[in-house]
Amino acid sequence: MNNNYDVIVIGAGNGGLAAAAYCAKAGLKTLLLEKHNLPGGSASSFVRGRFEFEPSLHELFGVGLPDNPTDYAKMFMELGANVDWRSHNSTYRLIVPAEADDPEGFVGENGVRVKVDASMPVGFEAFSRKLDSLVPGSYEPAMKVFRLSTLMYEAFDMLTSGKINPVKLLTKYGDVFKMAGHTVKECLDELGMPEKAQGIFTAYWCYMGAPPMRFDMLYYMSMMHGYVERGASMPHLRSHEMSCAMDKAIRDNGGEIRYNSEVTKVLMKDGKPCGVVINGSTEVYGRYFICNVHPGFALPDLFAPGEVPEDANKKVNGRPIAASLVTVYLGMNRTKEQLGFHDYSIFIAPTSDSDRQFHLSQGKMGADFVIINCMNEAIPDCSPEGTSILFLTGICYGDVMQGVKPQDYKKLKTKIADEMITRCEQTLGLTIKPYIEEIEIGLPPTFSRYLNTPNGTPYGYQLDLWDSMLPRTIQYEKDQPFDNFYFCGASQERGDGYGCAYYSGQKAAGLVIKQFTEGK
Amino acid sequence: MESLLKSFNKRDFISVVANRQKRFAAADGSVPAGTDGSRELARALHPKAQYVKVAAVTERAPDVKSFTLVPDPSRGTTALAWFGAGKYLTVFVTINGMPVTRAYSISSSPKASLEGKYELTIKLVDGGLVSRYILDNWQVGTEVTVSAPEGNFEYQPLRDAKNVIGLAGGSGITPFLSMAQAIADGDEDFELTLLYGSRNKDNILFFDELAALEKACPKFRVVHVLSDKDAKAGKGFEKGFLTAELIQKYAPADAPYSVFLCGPQQMYEFVDKELAKLDLERKFIRHEMFGEFHNPASQPDYPAGVPETVKITVTQAGEKKTVEGSSNDSVLQILEKNGVAAPARCRSGECGFCHSLLISGKIYTPPHMDYRRMADLQFGFIHPCCSFPLTDLEIDVPPAK
Repeated sequence: MNNNYDVIVIGAGNGGLAAAAYCAKAGLKTLLLEKHNLPGGSASSFVRGRFEFEPSLHELFGVGLPDNPTDYAKMFMELGANVDWRSHNSTYRLIVPAEADDPEGFVGENGVRVKVDASMPVGFEAFSRKLDSLVPGSYEPAMKVFRLSTLMYEAFDMLTSGKINPVKLLTKYGDVFKMAGHTVKECLDELGMPEKAQGIFTAYWCYMGAPPMRFDMLYYMSMMHGYVERGASMPHLRSHEMSCAMDKAIRDNGGEIRYNSEVTKVLMKDGKPCGVVINGSTEVYGRYFICNVHPGFALPDLFAPGEVPEDANKKVNGRPIAASLVTVYLGMNRTKEQLGFHDYSIFIAPTSDSDRQFHLSQGKMGADFVIINCMNEAIPDCSPEGTSILFLTGICYGDVMQGVKPQDYKKLKTKIADEMITRCEQTLGLTIKPYIEEIEIGLPPTFSRYLNTPNGTPYGYQLDLWDSMLPRTIQYEKDQPFDNFYFCGASQERGDGYGCAYYSGQKAAGLVIKQFTEGK
Repeated sequence: MESLLKSFNKRDFISVVANRQKRFAAADGSVPAGTDGSRELARALHPKAQYVKVAAVTERAPDVKSFTLVPDPSRGTTALAWFGAGKYLTVFVTINGMPVTRAYSISSSPKASLEGKYELTIKLVDGGLVSRYILDNWQVGTEVTVSAPEGNFEYQPLRDAKNVIGLAGGSGITPFLSMAQAIADGDEDFELTLLYGSRNKDNILFFDELAALEKACPKFRVVHVLSDKDAKAGKGFEKGFLTAELIQKYAPADAPYSVFLCGPQQMYEFVDKELAKLDLERKFIRHEMFGEFHNPASQPDYPAGVPETVKITVTQAGEKKTVEGSSNDSVLQILEKNGVAAPARCRSGECGFCHSLLISGKIYTPPHMDYRRMADLQFGFIHPCCSFPLTDLEIDVPPAK
């Protein structure tokens, strides 16, 4: 057996899959190593009884429609990875429950007292009009934001086309740089958006785990624009379908994949990686390495002290770990109509202030902020006839498991799930608990186990203004520990999200392919 | 276009990049800690393997023994993983150079695991290779390797009724024994009424232990159901089988109840028909897996004209070899019989640990064991533990690890 590869990809998460697929397609002798028995990391599925659950994907923007595929759908097509996409034409519904004595409270759906109940439609015009109907005076500021984000995408096109005109970039697209240099909050204030409307407008903060007061407008809008412009998509057969399609594309292009194959050490020669040890025993060698393991664990786990430049350690220690999640997966023995669900994605928040929501999630798992998804709204046949699938997500920050004993963990999981389900029942005025046929609960240790990240974060590093997409992009190559070893995944340029991770793999592969073809 | 963000300067962004470099320069340059509470907990609950030693052997009945397993620090295990009552361990053994696995429910309490003790109770299976080997060979001091606790046969308060009727047959008593102890210890909180089917009084496993638990714990009750025609029954005994009438007799009349089943395949075939008469909601019936499936040709949808022997070309970690076996054996069994160690945990189709790629050829999976993901069916992945070859196959199997 020939043990030498052009490129070894460590970890078959979304980033690693895309990296291996592009390298294999370019004709590089590619080996993809994954410690688990399945591809995808977050992008997977699991079966309980007669239900197959989606572990993590809420929705994906930038897929487009079958007759007009865009970014990620094109990426999959380009790689020969076939996915059956299902689109849904809504953004989100934000509900903020009201205390009995709250003067802003009113009686909403199912007789529940709420302060905010905003079902936001797709389309810039429709979205802005709806926002205005909820908070008068927000139409103009909202339309201005979408004008800015449209301009921003034009600038992105110019930057990625390779035909960069610096004069035009700074004159026509000056506002784009301003968006990158200022927070969401600062920009919305500058555009005169009323406070309450800002709360509704920034509800997507949870998808990136970064609050409006700390997060840059450029990156927030790159996501928000995508969802509001065209709605979102999902793979028909859970995200395991996307991972299987990538697996097949890699093999079809001559790449090799090994599951149950954990990289336990990176081998060094002349101060640079030259190979890896698999499962503590087998050595394989490579010229280039793409690493889908979070740097916070990759550096201490895979290298001996002194092998990694001090600078690389600083880039780990100097950054806060991003959010982790609490998830509850419910297989229901009633249909969505019987249960009373008619929205795909509902954000239940303790306050309409997104910054406050972020602060309430520090060091705490709990039911304050819950996203509830009814999968059958997006994929009607995702569960057997007469049933439905609900998926609850909470967000938390910090080392929330410190001091939790193994024997207390099962009870803790049940307690937190119970609180989250109760919160949904009370806020929506619906009954959920008696109809639970299957339940699974994921806490940060669950994500730690499957994703191998600090605090079990699926989100990489905290996306703050100072460490957001654009500064990370500008310094990407400098951020890598060696000139033949590139990180990919949520810890890199674009942070969390499936699309961002696929992109990170494509980017790392591009740099490796370039060096390879230049004979370096 | 006129600027919409008039009071901002486009150069503000430059300071963002400079700020990032400054922050990194000031950061700690030592090796990152590489640990946190979530990682520690995940590792404690799901170790890659547990290295243990047999500390005691207890003869429970003819051909039934309990083995007490304790950590073996000399091989790197200093503590045992805690588990929810009802879980199983996969045991790894090598018999005449053949690497095989078996799943056994833990019969001891979760609490005992914290004191460094698991108990597995193993009954000889007719023609059973592994159970024979273990009963004949394991003695005090034997080194054993087991998996982390696995499986989903557990009480879940948000899903199950507060009252549970446990239906056990033979050595299917083991997970219920663990559950009853967990209730007595306060680790679980539900009312368990156990209907335990045995042929006669002499065949009952853990009779004294169950009686003691019943006495000590008001939430647990056991009813022995004896099937031999001339079995002597008395107070606390029922005669016959695990029928719908019997379940109704012991189930609460005015409250919902869950039924948990653990026993051999034949018991499920009988009890499932009885349960159908009770018209319970599907969520209230939960089966533990019964292990390996044999004789696929007995299934009504098994195709005709399958050759007796098949060739399997297997690639594992980049190395290819071809083995031969009987089409009556699962792909996993054929690999093991040829000395190929393959990943396996539940051996019942459910856990998916053996997930492998079928490159060419056809297999048969009994429908009731087919827990593959939908995309697996589309992309050609199989669970070798319940896949029976219908033709020669080419497969890619991950290393056993």
